[in-house]
Amino acid sequence: MTAPPLIPRRMAGVFVAGCAVLAVLPALDLSPYAHNQLTLSYVMIAGALAWNWMGGFVGQVSFGHAAMFGIGGFVAGRLMLHMQLPPPVCWLAGGVVAGVFTLAAHPTLRLRGPYFSIATIGIGEISRQVFTYWEEFTGGATGLSLPISAVQKYQLYWWALALAAAVALASIAIRRSSFGLRLLAIKADVDAAADVGISAALYQDAIFALSGAVVGVSGGIFASYFVFIEPGDMFGFDRSITFVLMAVIGGVGTSLGPALGAIVYVVLRNYLLASYPELHLGLFGVLVIVIILFQPLGITGLVRWLVRRVQRAASPGQP
Amino acid sequence: MTALLAARGLTRRFGGLTALDGVDLTLGEGEILGVIGPNGAGKTTLFSLIGGSLAPSAGEILLDGRPVTRLAAHRRVRAGIVRTHQIVRPFANLTIFENVMVAAIHAHRRTEGHARDRVAEALELAGLADRPERYPASLTLAGRKRLELARALATGPRVLLLDEVVAGVNPAEAQAFAALIRRIRDQRGVSIILTEHVMPAVMSLSDRIMVLEYGKRIAEGTPGEVVADPRVIAAYLGSEAGQGAAS
Repeated sequence: MTAPPLIPRRMAGVFVAGCAVLAVLPALDLSPYAHNQLTLSYVMIAGALAWNWMGGFVGQVSFGHAAMFGIGGFVAGRLMLHMQLPPPVCWLAGGVVAGVFTLAAHPTLRLRGPYFSIATIGIGEISRQVFTYWEEFTGGATGLSLPISAVQKYQLYWWALALAAAVALASIAIRRSSFGLRLLAIKADVDAAADVGISAALYQDAIFALSGAVVGVSGGIFASYFVFIEPGDMFGFDRSITFVLMAVIGGVGTSLGPALGAIVYVVLRNYLLASYPELHLGLFGVLVIVIILFQPLGITGLVRWLVRRVQRAASPGQP
Repeated sequence: MTALLAARGLTRRFGGLTALDGVDLTLGEGEILGVIGPNGAGKTTLFSLIGGSLAPSAGEILLDGRPVTRLAAHRRVRAGIVRTHQIVRPFANLTIFENVMVAAIHAHRRTEGHARDRVAEALELAGLADRPERYPASLTLAGRKRLELARALATGPRVLLLDEVVAGVNPAEAQAFAALIRRIRDQRGVSIILTEHVMPAVMSLSDRIMVLEYGKRIAEGTPGEVVADPRVIAAYLGSEAGQGAAS
């Protein structure tokens, strides 16, 4: 018996074709609005999928990922300003720093469930405070302007797409690998996982750091796209909640559900902000309650349910 | 007989309660040791100490003469000491195959063969080879107990700690389990410590039996010796019965 491939060949074909179509879209007279929404969606897809590695695969729901997002953004920004390094190098460096920062959050991994979540709120808020007052680094409340030209900003579409595609492939590969199997075992029962030889500390550290690093890279691209960033926004608690929201809408713990959640979130948020600026957060709250009550796996759960219904209708003989 | 596993003066206190008090234990290669005792005697505590999910207050545990007392639970599994739980704990979010697979991952470093072959073997031996793509929720209690066994087997254990595997299943299943445990020892050469409330099962399976009461070892010997021991009868039936048997 040999192990099945991490990425099934048919899935790889569909995936490459989809990415190719998205990559040539800007050449086909894409409206600036659509260009903007797609770029933002890609950045958020990467963030949501990476959050899901921790929140979904291991089941440790983090409310502190804004810390990694902000660190990635500001480290990348500072490197661009002072070292004049090419942006992709700066984003990667931001991701590495964010990953190392996440490793420092190791003590929170002694906690599980809601206790872990509460501890991560603390991490997020401490980071927000520290980076707001660390004016030499973040520019404090006045923020930081990144040296990004209009052309570079336009090109971010492809960088963001490449990141989202890479993270999506990584999600599928992790979920199907023996590494992913260990993460799911830890999620199910951390003591029983130890009883079959799995070191919960090691694997949780690894995936938490990886998740933080990717969110850091997406923070770097996000910062470059908005050109101007300030700590109150990058490190804000509502940004941490954004990651949770996207995953819940799309389907926590599924390989690619959070990507769908990210697209829905970006498009819906823009629409709600434009149409009901005072109500938009409240409407998201209602949405999450409805999802958790009726379809805990979000859009993914809904799609699976529909597929089952259609299959049942197609083959009435089967029970 | 050289001792594969040995424990000396194993003690565990929970606040003012001494759950296990200076217990010595040896297990030979290929031996089945039964541990019996009334409820609260310290059987599960003993297993938790040997398995590494609890740290002893005093005493030490040796595998092949090397101390493993300070190894974390997951490292003890890799060294070859593996336990199952009285209340089964399958990974509900993984299929039956994946449940066993995740256990086999670490074993192939130490032993020959591919992880997937080990899984197939363990499932076969435990009688779960049909439909491994199902989830544990679809199994009966006996089936989940078999899964717990298959998972422990896939780690490639040298010492297997079985905490009440037979309890709670019907008599036919209990016999099947006894046969399975014997096969694990005979075919795999795994040494086994088991606790059990189902006396016929312990008596027929064990080469040697240790009796615990209030955290202390009160008797040890072959099944025949142990059932005749007045202290054991006293522990199970009360002291008058014990004295009656002694006189």
